Amino acid sequence: MFSGRLSVSMFRRLLVANRGEVAVRIARAARELGCTPIGVASTADRGSDWTRAFDEMVCVGPAPPAESYLKAERLVQAALQTRSSALHPGWGFLAEDRRFAQLCRQHGIAFIGPPAGVMALLGAKSPAKRAMRAGGLEVVPGSDGPLRDVEAALLCAEASDYPVLLKADYGGGGRGMRLAANEAELREVFQAAQAEARSAFGSDSVYLERYVTAGRHIEVQLLVDGFGQAVHLGERECSVQRTHQKLIEESPSPALSDDERAALGKRAVQAALSVGYENAGTMEFLRTPEGKFYFMEVNARLQVEHPVTEMVSGIDIVHKQIEISAGRPLGLRQEDVRLQGHSIECRINAEDPEANFRPAPGRIETFDIPTDRGPGRVRIDTHMTAGETIPPNYDSLIAKVIVHADFRESAIETMQNTLAAAQIEGVPTTVPLHLAVLSCEAFRSGNYDTGSIPGWSS
Amino acid sequence: MPPSREFIVERQEQRIFLRAPEVGTFTCVVEEGAVLTPGSRAGVLHRLDVAFELIVPAGVTGRIVSIPPERVHAPVEYGAALYELAPLATTVSDSQQKESAVKTRSALALRAPYSGRFWHRPAPEDPAYVQIGDVLEPGRTVGLIEVMKTFTHLSYEAHGALPQKARIVKLLADDGDEVDEGDPLIEVENV
Repeated sequence: MFSGRLSVSMFRRLLVANRGEVAVRIARAARELGCTPIGVASTADRGSDWTRAFDEMVCVGPAPPAESYLKAERLVQAALQTRSSALHPGWGFLAEDRRFAQLCRQHGIAFIGPPAGVMALLGAKSPAKRAMRAGGLEVVPGSDGPLRDVEAALLCAEASDYPVLLKADYGGGGRGMRLAANEAELREVFQAAQAEARSAFGSDSVYLERYVTAGRHIEVQLLVDGFGQAVHLGERECSVQRTHQKLIEESPSPALSDDERAALGKRAVQAALSVGYENAGTMEFLRTPEGKFYFMEVNARLQVEHPVTEMVSGIDIVHKQIEISAGRPLGLRQEDVRLQGHSIECRINAEDPEANFRPAPGRIETFDIPTDRGPGRVRIDTHMTAGETIPPNYDSLIAKVIVHADFRESAIETMQNTLAAAQIEGVPTTVPLHLAVLSCEAFRSGNYDTGSIPGWSS
Repeated sequence: MPPSREFIVERQEQRIFLRAPEVGTFTCVVEEGAVLTPGSRAGVLHRLDVAFELIVPAGVTGRIVSIPPERVHAPVEYGAALYELAPLATTVSDSQQKESAVKTRSALALRAPYSGRFWHRPAPEDPAYVQIGDVLEPGRTVGLIEVMKTFTHLSYEAHGALPQKARIVKLLADDGDEVDEGDPLIEVENV
């Protein structure tokens, strides 16, 4: 059936409304598809080595993100005046801001992401949970929507069982969460959670759910085109976290059987279609030690850890994002998706693991991560080179090391060989942390959860 | 009131650069050679559906020596150089040098640094900046010169033959008079 929006021509120019590693990643994909990548930079990033990935750069403001990378009007104007017909938001910044998506479309620019209405639904956690429950997924026991007051919270906690977690409705990235082990603690933290939510996310709306101990963070990568065709590309295991920030991701998860994977993927696809999802997205689940999967949230964007999925599936997720936005059909059925081997990603951050992971901006003197250490393949996603300075205004990610091998053991070995030979000087990095995790028994056996970093005690 | 933004100001030795405070398309509304002063409106920058008037911020005065090559709807990024200004002091001293060559044939006088309209007062209902008998010291404002709707403060400077302190003897140019560069505006005497 012809839907009237079938347009197979590719964008000629694509603006990447982001910086650093993700900007470089998207620029590469755009070029491979024959569209000219146009970049933006703050004054702090101007002249940085990574900006050379672009054919044109537009300076959009001073160093603070609020005055540059978060200025929706400036970014859209930058797209217009560079004659870009599409805009990729990357991750972070405005990637999940539905008003930004709307603004792009109002000005005739294709926003590479889901429709604004779907973003609005999935952006607030309570409506998202409600919609996903209607779409057939189980959610963590807890409040149905935001809590009016502490009394409502107490009632709800009683029903769902302690310990409970208070979360900001508009929160993310692990911020705005408070844990309460009993009634007294819940009374104590409720107002603080509301105040924190208000100051961090502009709304004091908080909800409550049972805190699942020894849970695993497992997420499903989805691709949905504009014609209702959808596939999943398997899952990513992201349970090695520090204060809810992912450190190591792998695919497949050592905790899942093939049957569980297929069933989870199928349910995720159905739930995504039930809300009219489009483009690439990730559905995050919490797997309890008993093997239950609770829906947590949808990340309506490209994710930092997408490369592990690309390695095992052989599918370039950013290509697919751009093609879907250009109106092309997905061209994939579920049975065409073949997941092969095992992939692991380590996030190399400029942080000092010995000093409670204090971010350490500064000048990188030496930057050499080998890609020939085997036994598997190595991919480095980075925007850094020796001599570059990490500005203090943005996140501390300097590189992602991704390996792919036939088996999990050989993937771990490849990662160990690569990181052991990596030379990064000038700033402390999380490399020692990764080496500790990779060599510890808990990680090697695959038996770990989000509760603590395996092999690491700070 | 249309929305407005002040230029970003960058000083490099003798030059002043007025830079774009927004991303957008810039339309230039003044000519090379015009004098910009605090509050001058010197262009329009369109960002999506908004047209920002660009305003010269406090403390910036100078003559435009360079404007963008594209004058209408030129796409500019944040921080793009829109105007380059030369401080008035240099241009004034140029004319003062000319003046010192001819000073023997006239009494001590403050002269117009460039052509324009000379005003005694900031607004019609306001008192004049100076009157006959006032003693002038360097930096004292004596009037305004208007060029293309841009008003520049004219201040007394002890250049050339002009002394550190001078008393006003006569107001040679009337309020609102058209004056040419070098025309005597105010006759003064040494105190």
